[in-house]
Amino acid sequence: MTIYSLYIYDRHCACVYYHDWQRVKPARPAIEGGILPAVSHEVTPNTNTPAAVDPSRRNTLMSLSGVVVAVNDEVPRTPLPNATSSPSLNSGLPFDEEAKLVYGVVLSLRNMIRKISGKDEQFVNYRTSTYKLHLYETLSGYKFIMLSDPNADSLRFVLRQIYSGPFLEYVVRNPLVQMDSKEHGIDNEYFRTSTDRMIRGLSVFQ
Amino acid sequence: MTIFGLWVINKAGGLVYQRNFGDGLPGLTSNEYLVLAGTLHGIHAITSRLSPTGSSSGAHVIEGESFKMTIFLTATGTKFVLLTTPVEPTAEAVLQKVYEVYADAVMKNPFHTPEMPIRSEAFDTRIAALIK
Repeated sequence: MTIYSLYIYDRHCACVYYHDWQRVKPARPAIEGGILPAVSHEVTPNTNTPAAVDPSRRNTLMSLSGVVVAVNDEVPRTPLPNATSSPSLNSGLPFDEEAKLVYGVVLSLRNMIRKISGKDEQFVNYRTSTYKLHLYETLSGYKFIMLSDPNADSLRFVLRQIYSGPFLEYVVRNPLVQMDSKEHGIDNEYFRTSTDRMIRGLSVFQ
Repeated sequence: MTIFGLWVINKAGGLVYQRNFGDGLPGLTSNEYLVLAGTLHGIHAITSRLSPTGSSSGAHVIEGESFKMTIFLTATGTKFVLLTTPVEPTAEAVLQKVYEVYADAVMKNPFHTPEMPIRSEAFDTRIAALIK
């Protein structure tokens, strides 16, 4: 059992955060302009050549984390190790396409469930042979979407915990994060680290 | 455990059979059912492409808060969809039985045109006997 990835969308249908863990097929970087800045450094389009990226840059940032509360636009753009060298290895979709598909599926299913049930009912999850997708939607229109092992139980409570814990603490209450800006994601070191710690501490994550 | 409805969707995404059981879910117009079936067909194709680990099937089970949809895809592309309460461990088995009935009462019927709506009394009665 494991957890593959986490997507957060705002009410303007834009992906504002992405994080993955034990994903076998890595996400391909998005094309230029395909996603907002500060969503995830892993899928940000490569504007720098790999040689230009100083590997110690992230560590420098970490050591400063006592001072820097949010790193909104200066997210280190560390490309995936094999993203530029061997594009044939990851034959999946570019991240921006993938993010749109995930959102489209979730939105269609949500409308469908609403239509069939005839009331304001939420879509909870769906399962295929290799993964399970969970959705938690907040009243403010943020959608938390998690991909996990197909045999996992409902992870809605985890998504709710991410919302009520790290998200409220390091995104909503963080004056340096521009929420609802339509121009920026919500990625910052604190949110990423504390979400990461929460997910890695789960019993389904092994 | 209650069964709310059964849909049969052909390989092109057209709804060829739809029937409600009980009154757990509100009835919709046949046009709305056709649209939903088409949407489901599309979603099913996309879900198989979103897999984080190699190739995947399309969605097997879609859950809402008060019901779930169990989808069974045959080798020929026909989809059988069963709408049930969220806790319904026998949904897959029921769909297998429905497939058997479909093979017997629909596919072996010389007057049935493939991929067209199913209008067969034998299918209706056997489904009714299967799902009470």
